[in-house]
Amino acid sequence: MSLSLHAVSLTLAGAPLITAFDLVVEDGEVVTIMGPSGCGKSSLLAYIAGDLTPPLLGHGRIFLNERDVTDMRPEQRKIGRLFQDDLLFPHLTVGQNILFGMARGSKDQRVEKMRLSLQQAELGGWEDRMPSTLSGGQKARVSLMRALVAEPSCMLLDEPFNKLDEELRTSMRAYVYSHLQSHGIPSLVVSHDKADAPRGGRVLHIRKSGEIVHA
Amino acid sequence: MKWLGGALPLSVFWLAPLLGGLAAVSFTANDPAAWRAFFSHPQIWHGLALSLATGTMGLALSVAIALWIAAGLHGNMAWNKMQQLVGGFLSLPHLAFAVGFGFLIMPSGLIARVIALALGWTTPPPWVTTQDPYGFALLAVLVLKEVPFILWLIAGHMQRPEFSSLLNEQARVARSLGHGDGSIWLRVVLPQILPRLLWPMVIVWVYGASVVDMALVTGPTQPPPLAVIIWGDLNNAQQALNARGAAGAVFLTLMLVTAGLAFASAWRLFAPLLDVFFTQGPSGAGAPRRFAFALLVGFRSLYVAVFLLLFLLSLTGFWAFPALLPPQMQFSAWSELIESPAPLLNSLSLAFVSVAVALTFAIAWFETVDERFDIAVLAFSLAALTLPAILIAQGQYFLFLHLMLNGSWFGVLLGHLTPVFAYVFIVLQGPYRAFDPRYRSVSYGLNTDALRFWAAIKVPLLKPPLLTAAAVGIGVSIAQYIPSQLIGSGRVSTLTTEAVTLASGGNRALLAAFSLVLMAIPLLAFTLATRFARNTP
Amino acid sequence: MKVTRRQLLRTTLAAGLLPVTSQFSSAADWAALESEAKGQTVYFNAWAGSEPINAYIAWAGEMLKAVYDITLIHAKIADTAEVVRRVRDEVKAGTVPGSADLVWINGENFRAMKQDKLLFGPFAQSLPNFKYVDTEGKPTTLVDFAEPTEGYESPWGMAQLTFFGDGSKIVQSPDNMAELVSFATSNPGRVTYPAPPDFHGTTFVKQALLETIGDRAQLSRPVTKDTFQAITASMFELLDRMHPHLWREGKQFPQRQAQLKQMLADGELLMALTFNPNEAANLVAGKALPFSTISWQFSGGTIGNTHFVAVPINAKARAAAQVTANFLLSPEAQGHKANLATWGDPTVLSMNKLSAEEAKFFATSDVAGSVKKPSPAIPEPHGSWVPLIEAAWLEHYGA
Repeated sequence: MSLSLHAVSLTLAGAPLITAFDLVVEDGEVVTIMGPSGCGKSSLLAYIAGDLTPPLLGHGRIFLNERDVTDMRPEQRKIGRLFQDDLLFPHLTVGQNILFGMARGSKDQRVEKMRLSLQQAELGGWEDRMPSTLSGGQKARVSLMRALVAEPSCMLLDEPFNKLDEELRTSMRAYVYSHLQSHGIPSLVVSHDKADAPRGGRVLHIRKSGEIVHA
Repeated sequence: MKWLGGALPLSVFWLAPLLGGLAAVSFTANDPAAWRAFFSHPQIWHGLALSLATGTMGLALSVAIALWIAAGLHGNMAWNKMQQLVGGFLSLPHLAFAVGFGFLIMPSGLIARVIALALGWTTPPPWVTTQDPYGFALLAVLVLKEVPFILWLIAGHMQRPEFSSLLNEQARVARSLGHGDGSIWLRVVLPQILPRLLWPMVIVWVYGASVVDMALVTGPTQPPPLAVIIWGDLNNAQQALNARGAAGAVFLTLMLVTAGLAFASAWRLFAPLLDVFFTQGPSGAGAPRRFAFALLVGFRSLYVAVFLLLFLLSLTGFWAFPALLPPQMQFSAWSELIESPAPLLNSLSLAFVSVAVALTFAIAWFETVDERFDIAVLAFSLAALTLPAILIAQGQYFLFLHLMLNGSWFGVLLGHLTPVFAYVFIVLQGPYRAFDPRYRSVSYGLNTDALRFWAAIKVPLLKPPLLTAAAVGIGVSIAQYIPSQLIGSGRVSTLTTEAVTLASGGNRALLAAFSLVLMAIPLLAFTLATRFARNTP
Repeated sequence: MKVTRRQLLRTTLAAGLLPVTSQFSSAADWAALESEAKGQTVYFNAWAGSEPINAYIAWAGEMLKAVYDITLIHAKIADTAEVVRRVRDEVKAGTVPGSADLVWINGENFRAMKQDKLLFGPFAQSLPNFKYVDTEGKPTTLVDFAEPTEGYESPWGMAQLTFFGDGSKIVQSPDNMAELVSFATSNPGRVTYPAPPDFHGTTFVKQALLETIGDRAQLSRPVTKDTFQAITASMFELLDRMHPHLWREGKQFPQRQAQLKQMLADGELLMALTFNPNEAANLVAGKALPFSTISWQFSGGTIGNTHFVAVPINAKARAAAQVTANFLLSPEAQGHKANLATWGDPTVLSMNKLSAEEAKFFATSDVAGSVKKPSPAIPEPHGSWVPLIEAAWLEHYGA
């Protein structure tokens, strides 16, 4: 699996925000994009996911496994996302949150898969709990599992550890990146915190000019 | 003792009349002979079925249509347009709308006349389009009137900054998990909005099941809905029938409570079955944008048509079928309306004073009483709005007899205050309590005293909800029929009581003119509220 | 506490009532009453569904203000029964003063108020203008629905069941109930009547009873539930035959006579009914009905009655209410009321009792829409029939 961006750029009300750049993220690779707030890094993820809203406009093509997804609707792209907030659906139980994005199929198999993924989140047997009863770290793990069981072709992470406290942040980073790598999912992380980049991973910077350069 | 400043006037002028009224009506209903007479009335069961059916169907259809429109337009440019539109329509009095809509669909109405022109009919068709035995016409008017109300509530909830951005982010996640906009609406947005609509839906349901004025104009007649039977009894010359009516009002209330509880337990029992729907996995279902837009355009056209038709009718005398346009225009209806301005002045003064009093009481409460007691006022407000008006007003009428308040403007004001304050409090409670206390700290740091802070900072910042509450209150007061009629005792006539009296004589031009004024006042209030709310810095 | 207070008020009421019930023995007494009435405000509770009637009451108000310094306020009522209920509730609660000073009333509403002692009086016969009333020619001015008025209400106008429709569409107007059944049969869906307890509807049913009952004398006597069924069997048989041919196959009925009027004007119905023989002519004059409109009464007679004004026992402006009732009986007020251009309500006065000067207030002319061949007015059945008829009608056709 791979994610490739061809001559992707962003404009805000006609003014350039990010100038055209190419990028290929390989199977299981986690690429980090750094930049100050307001530089357009979240909007870049929105463009890739397909839900960028005017006056922001994106250009260039997006390929997932050699398949051009640029003109597809967001829900058809199979691009998983994680945000600062866990965004678990408050009206659904933990188990229902996991099932929400899991492809349709036999009920027993789906429930089995949901249980397994909760075990991986170290929350085995918690499927009937409501999200509001979980701690921040637990919610973040469920949120990741919910994204992974949807079997995304790539993952976009938007400052995913920003709201966690320092101690939890380190362990969550390790947890998230190990799962992304073991599933072989190409991933893009945007952050303003250098520490968010996985060790040895590629890091890109967005400059004030809108240019994207390697660190 | 500061809390007394907020709690005392509220208890004396709002809570006491409400509870006293309820006590009085239960006291008069304690008459075995009246109950026996009630249960031997040949129409009550059919009437009850009609009441429950129109209330339930009215609620179900209004909610379904409103949700459909919201699903299709949410996140679209049309959403903002819809909100402006709905704000104006939601407060239109039901009665006025029923009158205009009736003339559109009745056998000698405008639609039939257009068809007659094409097909060469000379006599009206035998259509059963108004006052049909099943109450479809009543249902249609109810739905047309409630959809904007529910849309307004949905928009109001979704507009709250924290909630709307949360919903947006949840939608992004859901999309990334493979859900289309339609699926997101059903599986993510709706389950979070519906619980917030619970009490408004109860209000709509009870209103539909206990409405009198509109049912008199468009509802079935043989038998009529139960509330109409009760209303007839309450206004009868025979004492025994008055007692039967009071028993009936209590019975209708009990039936509504029973049906509500039955529905609640059925919901609790069957709601888990819905889980399958939430967890079956992603669906690419899109939003019904075109359909929703068509619905919105349809609604808008109907409202405009009703408005224009009322205007035309107000200028018309004899207008026989199948003429498409009235043979001559006359202004007698408008000149009569202007020549006897008492109903207009009463309606306006009652609306403005009741809203001013309600706002004062609400603000006094918020400023002096701790937030944790809000729940009590909210509960009584919901009681005031969910118990049938026919029950509360009947009780207040008995109570006011002893207090010599019937027939006085002040008595009618208290009757209006019951629902007006309830609405104002419900609209204001959230925004007022959510007011960021840090403003106060900052402002006290700048040597501002409490009053100046309130007048110069708090009120301007809370202007939009205050204006909305005022506009809603004016609409509610203008539309009151039963309390004005009972407590007014013929001495305090309002636009609404006058319109129903005119309907009894069938002068359509005058009725149309009154209905137009009835519609214009809340519309104006809402337009002004929107205009001034926008000017907020 | 409450009960004693209420009792106290009731006693006061009764005590206050005694001296005023005495007759005005002299013109001086009446003059005293007129001066007492000065400056008082009379809340006249009167049905207000009709523009010409409202305009007439407004005119009366201007006259009263100018001549007697009385302020007449028209408390606009959709149904007189609501006034009966209100006065009864007020008296029970001991509310002094009451909300109504004068009520437009007759029939079962009057009977209910009289029986429950809710009316002030007797006063009617002692009004100076009562001498003009045609008590011989119009016996219903003294007996309201077989209930003697005994001075508790003062006659105001005459009413008689009258039918009207568009003469250009009606070839042969039905002349009795049986003919009406055939008329409805050949014009299905184009005839109806208002559902009782609308009093026009109740009157229509009474007319059917009148024409199907063997011995009409039974109607002037009180009726009981036991005998009612047998007496009314052939009336219901007639209605059963008629209903399938009525508007909406007789399954739904308009609730009020006003709706009938509107449906006639719209062309939905062929004919309508009224209690005011001049209503159609009045509507033609007001351009609400076409010039081809005709009015008729059954040649065998139709139910006729008188409508009155009465003073509730808890009225505040008792003196002014009587002065108003007296003014409404004056030749000038009666003549203005009978005028088709204003209201067209037939007078209760006797032309023979008026001087030539007074008779000038009554302008007679034959206008479009008026009744061409008046027929005898048949007195209303005893008031006890009304609740039974209404209940039985509901039983038969209500569900």
